[in-house]
This record gives sequence, C-alpha cells and structure tokens, in this order.
Amino acid sequence: MSRNASVRLDGASFRYPGGKAGIFDVSFEIAPGELVVCIGPSGCGKTTLLKLIAGFLRLDSGRVHLGGDDVTAATVRSRECGIVFQSYALFPHMAVWENVAYPLRVRGVALAERRRRAAAMLDMVGLDGYGERLPAALSGGQQQRVALARALVFEPRALLLDEPLSALDAATRVTMRDEIRRIQKQQNIASLLITHDQDEALSLADRVVVLRDGRLVQVATPQQIYDRPADAFVASFVGRANLIDGVAAGADVVDTALGRLATPLHGAPNGAAVRLLLRPERVEPVAAAGGENVFAARIVHDRFFGASREIELSVGQGSIKIDTAARGGIEYLRVPRDAVQFLPTQ
Amino acid sequence: MRLRHQLLLAAPAAGVLAVFFALPVAAVAVDAFREGHRAFGRAFALPAFWPSLAGSLLLTAAAATVSTLVGVAVALHLSRLPEGRRTLLSFVIALPLTFSGLIIAYGFILGYGRAGFATQLLGYAGFDPAVIGKALFTPVGLAFASSYYLIPRVVMGILPVLVNFDRAQLAAAESLGATSSQAFRQVMLPQVAAPVGAAFCLVAAVVFGAYGTALALVGTQLHILPLQLYSLISETGTDFPAAAALALLITAACSAIMTTGEWFGSRHERHL
Repeated sequence: MSRNASVRLDGASFRYPGGKAGIFDVSFEIAPGELVVCIGPSGCGKTTLLKLIAGFLRLDSGRVHLGGDDVTAATVRSRECGIVFQSYALFPHMAVWENVAYPLRVRGVALAERRRRAAAMLDMVGLDGYGERLPAALSGGQQQRVALARALVFEPRALLLDEPLSALDAATRVTMRDEIRRIQKQQNIASLLITHDQDEALSLADRVVVLRDGRLVQVATPQQIYDRPADAFVASFVGRANLIDGVAAGADVVDTALGRLATPLHGAPNGAAVRLLLRPERVEPVAAAGGENVFAARIVHDRFFGASREIELSVGQGSIKIDTAARGGIEYLRVPRDAVQFLPTQ
Repeated sequence: MRLRHQLLLAAPAAGVLAVFFALPVAAVAVDAFREGHRAFGRAFALPAFWPSLAGSLLLTAAAATVSTLVGVAVALHLSRLPEGRRTLLSFVIALPLTFSGLIIAYGFILGYGRAGFATQLLGYAGFDPAVIGKALFTPVGLAFASSYYLIPRVVMGILPVLVNFDRAQLAAAESLGATSSQAFRQVMLPQVAAPVGAAFCLVAAVVFGAYGTALALVGTQLHILPLQLYSLISETGTDFPAAAALALLITAACSAIMTTGEWFGSRHERHL
C-alpha cells in the first residue's frame, strides 16, 4: 500500500459490545482525488466503517491513516474529515451561509473571511444567493448541497458521505449524483461514499468496496465488480444475475438444468461441481433452433419497463432471467459461450 | 358542514375554559371591581402585601431556576437512554405529581425538618442541625420543597424536545472541528433554549400561584401572595373585595408569565 494514500485502513476490526455485528480485518486505501463507494446489504457494516474512519467509533484492532498520519487514537475533531450525513444534519437555527461557515467559525476565522469563503463554496455547489435563507426553506437537494459545501469548506483530509442521496427523490438523486462527482473531482479529495444502491455505486465510483457481514468481499473498479465478481454474493448483489449450478462434462462443457452448455475452458475435472454466472442482458432471444447453446424457452413472467423487458423463462429443467429490448414472444434463447463465467462453488 | 364539525370539536375545550377559568375569574372580577378601584388600593395597603410580593418573587425565581436547571439535566440524561429505560424512569420521575402537597410537606418535615432524618445526618457531617432545620421554613426552603412537583413538569416538558433533537447535528459539529462544549453551546442550546424558557415560565407560573405545600409546611407565617390571599379569605374574612383584587393580581401575574412561556415556545416552532 502506498504511503501517501489519503485514507488507509489496515486490518481494521471492531465489534459492537455485546453483539456479533461489526467489521473484521478490513484493509483498503483511498488515493487523493479517488472516490471509493462502499456497498453491501443492510447491517453489513458500511456505516460502521465510516464511523471508524471518522472517529465516532474506536477500532478494537488495526490502524486508520489519514493523509499519511496514523489517526487510530485521534479524536473526531482532530481527524478533520468532512462528513455528509444521511439526514444532512444541518443546523436549522443558522442561515445557510452560517452553516457552511461553521467549521471556519470553530477554527477562529474572522467573520469577513468566513462570509467570503462560505459564499465561494455556495457558488461552487450552485447555491449562490441562498446564503441568508434558513435550511428549512430549501429543498432536499439544496440542503444536500449545503451539507456538501459545509463538509468541504475547511479543506478536510477526506470526504465521507453516508448514504447522501437516500432521502432524495429519483430525479434529484440522479442530478445530485453527478454534482457530487463533479465537486469531488474539482476538490481532488479522497472520498468514501456509503450506499446500498448498486446503480449509485457503479455510476459514481472509481472503485467499489463490497462488504458482507462486516468482511470485505471485493475491492475493484465498477466494471470489474460487475464483469468479474469475486463470488456469487457479489454477482447477485451487484446487478441481476443467473446463478446456475452444473457439473463439468468436458474441458469447455458443463451439464446444467438448462441443458448442456458450451463454456470457456474451466479447468475443472469431469464430474466436478461448478457454478456459472450468466448476466441477463447477455442472453439473447433467437428466432429458431440450431447452433451452439440455443435452447427452447417458454415465458413464465414478463415485466415491461418501456426501454427493456425483464423476462423469466422456463428452459429445460430450469429457469433463466433475461433483459431484452425485443418485443413479442420468445421461443428460443442463445447463451453466448463468452457470456458464461465461473464462480467459486463455496 | 365543515364549520359545524369544527364547532363541535371546539365545544368541549370552550366548555372547560368557561367552567374552570372564565366564569370563576369573571365572578372574582365582579367582586374586585364592585367598588371601582378601591379594593385594589386596600389590597396594596395591606401590611403584608409588599413583603408577600417580595417573598413570592424570591420563591418563584429560586424554585423555577433550580427546577429548570435540574429538570433539564435530568431530561438530557433521559433523552440519551434506550426507550424502555427512559419510559420507566420518566414514570418514576412523574410519580410525585400524583401526591398531595400535604403528604409531601409532611415527608419533607420528617426528612428535612428540625428533627428530620437528613438534618440529623447533616448534623453528623458537621452542619448545624438548627440552621438546616430552620431553612425548610424559609422562602428558599419552600423553593426546595416545591421542586418536587416542578422538576417533573420541566422534565415532561423538555424531554420530547430533547428526544427528537437530531443528535447527528452534534456529531456533525464535532466532525467539523467543534469541541463538545462548542457543539452544545452553539448547536444544541440555541435550539432548545425556547422550550427551556417555556418550561421555566410554566413552573414559575405554577409556583407563583401555589399555596398547598407552603400552607402545609409553614401555615400562613411565610409572606407570599397566595398565603396572603388565603388569610384574607379564611382567617380575617372581612374584606372580600380586597381578596378578589389580590386574586385577580395573582391570576394576571401567572397569565403574564405563561404568555411569556408561549412566546418562547412559538420561537422554537419557527425553526421547524
């Protein structure tokens, strides 16, 4: 691991007193200017991880480094992390500019300078002219921008965002997603964003950290996470997935409930159990029988979303989900050989 | 139709207000103004009026201040507890409100009077039992005794505000560089100041007009306005218009304090 990473966790472990929940032996780093998104199901330890970096919780073992300094024993305030909370946590009795300038106020910066820097930050987040309003007079998206401006105004060592978009409506969420990315890149700050929304993770992140039961399952780019998931959990948590168990029947052949599949070379001995991943969008409806990996199919469920359809089909002795833009009925499916991936069986 | 429904819903409140406030106050007002303003003149001229006013103000200031400080501290602690434990402790704290003032006064005499258990213990610790025992029967001692029913009122009034306070704000302030003390003073206190002010006014109004515990503890020997009124009605019993004038003054003072409390409360609402 590099020495100049802005955020670094080494073997971080923490268990909540009297319980089994926590995080266990987690190590990763965030480089300056990098946005890492942490995802996982509810209760997997995402927010605990953020609290440990911010200093709200203390590690049982392991180290936390910020800007190259070991801050494992440091207080929250001395860690200098800009945090955007899920509920925004704006101060409702202060005007918007006072909220943004609060970190400068507690650092003893003169009033005129506070006003100037708060105004500059508000301008950067697109809230020029809103400084004198109270937070309650702003929309959810605007409050989120204020929270972001407040978290960045004191030039923190890292930016931590705890499900920052979860309280926003769908349209505002998409806009704010782009805004967060723009501002984060502009500030060139190491950032960790917590979310349970896989679309958010894939579209925002430079790298994605996947947690399960407090343990780190995979750290990789969004594309690697989607195309080369570490295991069945990651495959099914990130995107839709067909997980198919089979038995190796040759160097590049597997017998499954769908039928005999031609696959890439898998290296498993004949008769060995294997687990396959087929992404729904890689399976193609075809007009007629014949050719490699073409199977007769019957529609079981058909959900129409306008641009695409999510269809569940009965194939052989099993079933398969596909995403397709095709209209009309489907009688045959083709599974391209290179669409088949192998996952660990355990 | 909607107006009719609204009137129907408002009727019980209007009835309560009429039966328990407007009619009695009107009856007292009629008596007080029967001779123009002369009854007020006689009330002010009573030898014990001004000492009683001073005693009431001292009692109110001391009891309301102590009760508010203690009540806020208790409520802050309760607000941080898990819900189950908070509910149980809130019940225990509210229990004194169900006791009669007479029982409490008797309990205080047994505990903190001249021969009281606590007085004796303090005597062993080097304090003068005579001084401690006497203190209970002064305005300050009465303020201490009155706290038993004022502190629960403060706790009940403030606790929902503190429970609903978004503690993420304190965490945010700390992460932005504030000390715990700065976070409390600059973030939490300004937001709860108005409800705390309202609670102060509520208990001030209550203790300004209360007489039960005082009467049971010290009879009519202590100079406070409610006991002065009690004397005019039950002992001398000759100048009822003056008694009515005094009653109106006490009611006006309590109402003014409550109005101030409502004003504080409305300031809190504006931020929400």
